[in-house]
Amino acid sequence: MVQSKKQKYMFLTFCLVPTFVLFAIFTLYPLLSGLYYSFFDWSGASDNREFIGLDNYIRLMNDAIIPNTIMHDYFLVVTKVIGIMILALFFAVALTQLKLREAPLYRIVFFFPNIMSVVVIGILWTFIYNPNLGLVNSALDFLGFEHLARPWLGDEKWALPSLVFPSVWAGIGLFMLMLMGAISNIPKSYYEAVEIDGATKWQQFWRVTVPLIWPQIKISILYIVITTLNGSFVIVQVMTGGGPNNSTHVMGSYLYQQAFVQFNFGYGAAIGVMILVLSLITVIILQFLLRRDKVEY
Amino acid sequence: MKKSVGQMLGKAGIRIPLILWTLAVLYPIFWMFLGSFKSNAEIYRSPWGFPEVYNLQNYIDAWTNYNIGTSVMNSLIVTLAGTALTLVLAIPTSYAIERINFRGSHFLFMLYVSSMMIPMVLGWIPLFFMLMELNLLDNIFGLAIVYAVSQLPFTIFILTSFISTIPRSLEEAAAIDGMSPYGVLWKIITPLSMSGIITVTIMNAIQFWNEYFMALIFLQSSQNYTLALAIDYISNEAQYTNAWGTLFAGLVIATVPVIILYAIFQRRIAQGMTEGAIKG
Repeated sequence: MVQSKKQKYMFLTFCLVPTFVLFAIFTLYPLLSGLYYSFFDWSGASDNREFIGLDNYIRLMNDAIIPNTIMHDYFLVVTKVIGIMILALFFAVALTQLKLREAPLYRIVFFFPNIMSVVVIGILWTFIYNPNLGLVNSALDFLGFEHLARPWLGDEKWALPSLVFPSVWAGIGLFMLMLMGAISNIPKSYYEAVEIDGATKWQQFWRVTVPLIWPQIKISILYIVITTLNGSFVIVQVMTGGGPNNSTHVMGSYLYQQAFVQFNFGYGAAIGVMILVLSLITVIILQFLLRRDKVEY
Repeated sequence: MKKSVGQMLGKAGIRIPLILWTLAVLYPIFWMFLGSFKSNAEIYRSPWGFPEVYNLQNYIDAWTNYNIGTSVMNSLIVTLAGTALTLVLAIPTSYAIERINFRGSHFLFMLYVSSMMIPMVLGWIPLFFMLMELNLLDNIFGLAIVYAVSQLPFTIFILTSFISTIPRSLEEAAAIDGMSPYGVLWKIITPLSMSGIITVTIMNAIQFWNEYFMALIFLQSSQNYTLALAIDYISNEAQYTNAWGTLFAGLVIATVPVIILYAIFQRRIAQGMTEGAIKG
């Protein structure tokens, strides 16, 4: 291309600099200064910010609620990964292998909750769990299990497990589509080859399908883990606000509570750093655990 | 080949969970629509059945008592301004990263893409004070800027992959004809990557329309509430006022635009989201 060096750099500047400046101001700088603020005692007003070294982190270690929030986050991670992967894999196999005529309909319906607002999902499910009017208790009544009915979201023991269903409900479609894409790329001849060897459908699933779509299974699991650790607090905030009695607080909702409700911004930032560190460690460990040699037949 | 009885039964057996899940997905959504037409008394009498009469009182209440109209406007403004800004920022950068050789282009791309995995919640505390100093706190345009920047990595990620499919010969021919790089970007690249631009724009629009948490932190006064905040507010009030019907009307208003977009762009949305997730 006929272009002087100067022109090229002018154009590059035009393309890259404004975008990067905004990205730096609104993403990079806040992350770094979040790290910085975590060493301060700060209630919001700019003149009473006091450097306190590692005190926020010491407080973090001694805060009895913190271990619970971490447990709750990982509880959601594990239950969501199991629930979503089993159902998504089952639906993906059913819809690709069984040539159902109405398959496109299922795809369209199952995916829809993925693009619904978390607020709408959260409120809908809050009503589904409503002690008097809700679908869950009505169904239990109807089936003759009145004794099992309870105020699901108001019960310290049941509130957190109750949050798993809306998350699974809302999450399946995307992963089903990802796995369906992977399954339909497997050549038919692979199945024919193991069928000649006398493999049952179940064995075909484990010997052909799973190994060949392993990369997508791995990506799906990682994606669920990352989005849960980085975003589970949204549904918590909408459905329970962390209650009853802190029994559903996850790290993010506790950060919100500390920083934006109780104005402990420095301590909130320390919780934010903890979220960042834990999610990075988790991703690295998972990458390692899920490593599996690429299968080729 | 003749199908065995076992296979036929197997197919029917597989359909049962599929149909059950279809019901599990659709029933709450249908019921949200039905509930929005019921009076409160009726919601208490039969929360899960069909309404006796379809009346619009709940929508009127939402409009008059809760100013839903203002929130709809705010959400529309944030969504439109946010998506437009995202494109203005992302298209030139995606083109430069994908097509122009410069030192650090790979690093820049990795920086943008890897920031998708970072939990932004840590950044929201400083961002809150920064917006305050810039007079952009409790301001829907401030929120639109924050939204736009938050979707930059995803948008750049999708657009670079679309731009990479455009044949280089087209740009070269245009350059030989004397077109400036700005002309190439605007008259060649942008129209030819329109499909990708539409896909990311729809995804970003849905994201901004639905977003809740940043709005919760960065907006404060009720006349600036987006729809997500407004229905959250109605929901919290409903614990005491029991205005469930109004709440359902709010949920319907928030969901209908998404349903319309999904009905038109179902394939694009599904494709865009799976591609976005596969980045790994």
